[in-house]
Amino acid sequence: MDEKDKLQVLKDILFTDDREYAEKISKRIDILEQTINERKKLSTKVDPIVEQQLKEFTRNIPSTLGPSITAALKEEIRNHKDEVVDILFPILGKMIKKYISQEIRILSEKVNSKLGFKGFKRKVRSWFGGVKEEELILSELSSARIEQVLLIEKESGILAASYSITKTIDEEMISGMLTAIKTFAEDAFGQKNQRLELIEYELYNIHLQSFIAYYVAVVISGDYSIKSKDKVQDMIFNFYENFTKIKKSKKFDADMVHKELITSFGDASI
Amino acid sequence: MQVSKKIIVLGHFGVGKTSLIRRYVEDSFSDNYKVSIGVHITKKVVEITANDSMSLIIWDLEGTDDVNNVRQSYLLGTHGAIYVFDVTRPSTFQDIHKDLTTIREKMPNTPLLVVGNKVDMVILSELEPILKKHAIIYNFLTSAKTGDMVNDLFHQLATVLYNNAKTI
Repeated sequence: MDEKDKLQVLKDILFTDDREYAEKISKRIDILEQTINERKKLSTKVDPIVEQQLKEFTRNIPSTLGPSITAALKEEIRNHKDEVVDILFPILGKMIKKYISQEIRILSEKVNSKLGFKGFKRKVRSWFGGVKEEELILSELSSARIEQVLLIEKESGILAASYSITKTIDEEMISGMLTAIKTFAEDAFGQKNQRLELIEYELYNIHLQSFIAYYVAVVISGDYSIKSKDKVQDMIFNFYENFTKIKKSKKFDADMVHKELITSFGDASI
Repeated sequence: MQVSKKIIVLGHFGVGKTSLIRRYVEDSFSDNYKVSIGVHITKKVVEITANDSMSLIIWDLEGTDDVNNVRQSYLLGTHGAIYVFDVTRPSTFQDIHKDLTTIREKMPNTPLLVVGNKVDMVILSELEPILKKHAIIYNFLTSAKTGDMVNDLFHQLATVLYNNAKTI
């Protein structure tokens, strides 16, 4: 054994542990390389971690990103109102249209289910008049109805008598405000002897008929046509004629006027 | 029996007309000043005697520096009136005699009460000489903020109207 061989033997003895350790590391690196390079093996290790992180992220969105998103949306809407309206209008329009057609269909079905002689008459009217039956039904359903009648002192706006089928806010306050509006309009825009005759708001009309010391306000819901207006005017004139008689009589009191209002306007068809 | 009477409340801007009415009708007060535009109408039923009550329909007219500018139609059919001035602002009472004369000309025979409001903001002993100097004869000194004399004011007017109605 020469010097070189001896040195080799000594090296083997001294580095055995290191070599074994290096081999172990090498094997582990091989396994890691395989794990990283092979998707399936990697996913079994990484997926649970990613899944956990995603869950946490999703859970925290409202608190972390929510305020920023809301602020950004608000800002965007504020800065581009017209564009937002343009985008939303067709969507909302379709929704409303769909809702209305659905409601009309339900209404029509309800009415059809109750068709009697009146329904037969309507059908005949529809055939001869050339108007769709649905339109006739709708016009019947939206016909005008008297909701409230107020007899008001013209100058002071004090309520003299009233008749109402629906509960509203204090009628004395309504009378005062109506008088204020009426006198304001007549003061501001009217010529001499011209009177405010009609106030419209949404589905309601207030017909105002002035006399010397009082005026009558009739609140009407539904379709207030010229024909209905004509009927209401006749009713007001008849009532006022009777009211004048009551006022002249010695038996005059507020109850009598109230009764006369019910007689003149209660259950009236217009 | 309950009768209804129309009362108007008028005076310069910011003298506390709306606050007085709010204190009387709702028993509340707000420091937030909002200018009244046009007219605002409220109602309060007041008991005059054990058997009789009165429905006060109170017209709160918008403030104006000159009562001549008050819309004539708002004054029609008025049963009673309250003229309000602000005791802390001489500009609201320096022309009071002219204003009161105008009101009395426009509404003869209508009971009228003169009221100095915001007394919570002054010392009464200092206020009296000032009012004396301007020869102001008032019926009430009120505070809408504390409610001082507010009920008395409206109740007195209601009583006057009640007695007037009885004598007719």
